[in-house]
Amino acid sequence: MGVEADRRGSELAPGQFEDHEGYVAPLPPGFGPRSSPLGQFPTGPEVGSRLPDVVALSTAGHTIDIQADREGRPAVLIFIRSAVW
Amino acid sequence: MPAFTAAGVRLYVLSYDEPDALADFKSAHAVTFTMLSDPDSAVIRQFGILNSMIGEDDHPWYGVPYPGAYVIDSEGVVVAKFFENNFAVRSGPEQLLAAAQGREVILEGRSETTENVTVEVTLDGESLPAGLTREIVAVLRVPEGRHLYGEPVSGGLVAASIELDETPGILSYTPVFPDTRPLTLSGDGHTLQIYDGDVVLRLPVAQNGRTMNKDEDGRWVTVSGRVRWQACDQESCGLPEEQRFEIRVPAGYTLMADMGPGAGKVPAMNGAAHMKTMVSRRACGN
Repeated sequence: MGVEADRRGSELAPGQFEDHEGYVAPLPPGFGPRSSPLGQFPTGPEVGSRLPDVVALSTAGHTIDIQADREGRPAVLIFIRSAVW
Repeated sequence: MPAFTAAGVRLYVLSYDEPDALADFKSAHAVTFTMLSDPDSAVIRQFGILNSMIGEDDHPWYGVPYPGAYVIDSEGVVVAKFFENNFAVRSGPEQLLAAAQGREVILEGRSETTENVTVEVTLDGESLPAGLTREIVAVLRVPEGRHLYGEPVSGGLVAASIELDETPGILSYTPVFPDTRPLTLSGDGHTLQIYDGDVVLRLPVAQNGRTMNKDEDGRWVTVSGRVRWQACDQESCGLPEEQRFEIRVPAGYTLMADMGPGAGKVPAMNGAAHMKTMVSRRACGN
């Protein structure tokens, strides 16, 4: 799927860029970490399908498999961009 | 987070950061949910949600996903997912928890049977911080024998809907409506999509941080709009109706607002050092 960056917005002041919804940040919309898709974009597994096995590292560096770790309970899995920046 | 624990729902947050960066974040913010590290973006690629607009040479941003959330039931099946185009807006915890709990709304018993549809509109949340969605929840109680319409409608009928007034800085996102059921009219055999019983319409809303009013009690935002519907029975239809709502809530703060130096602020999480690692791991071609 070809995904196009949403560059709509305007410069309010030097280093103050507003996107089309009025959120303000230091980079223009569509550049680097400020790359939001315009229109359709892939959102992964569909509602009704089984969540793929997610195997990632814990903060202690151990492997965690979500489907096993949740011990039969419902779960919410959030993908974020970064906890550092 | 206590609400998730009380509901027996596990919460996982995954990013492409290194485990020690997440560990620092976790201790800086006293996080109790599970943070998962996917430093090579393997899970992000497996899900097909790698942000493809960021070039591989665009250090250090390359490798991030389109941010979003999945809700899975006890069988591990995806029951809801939340992705919006603008990364600046995220689903609030109330919205995720409501989805994990099957979106049930606890309704008090009807005080009396009326001829008319009654509507209650609330905001599911105590505040509306910038960039975090909360849902406006409209509960339409439809008297027995009557129904409302869902999209698509035809012939001049009005589908049940919820919409915001045009207010600068107040934004609405993908609405969540219940499933309709088909109703075939006895006269001409035409099939319509209807709702009956208690109909719950949910509209995620957010504000962009530039729409707050300040007074001596704090910072506030006001969300207003209307719910529309048309109630019919097998023989006849009422006129389209609407009910306006106006909800004033504290603007609140997001997590980022408590970071940085100063009294009452969360200590820094050593972000500069982690950023350096992030740049070098990409530049080395790892």
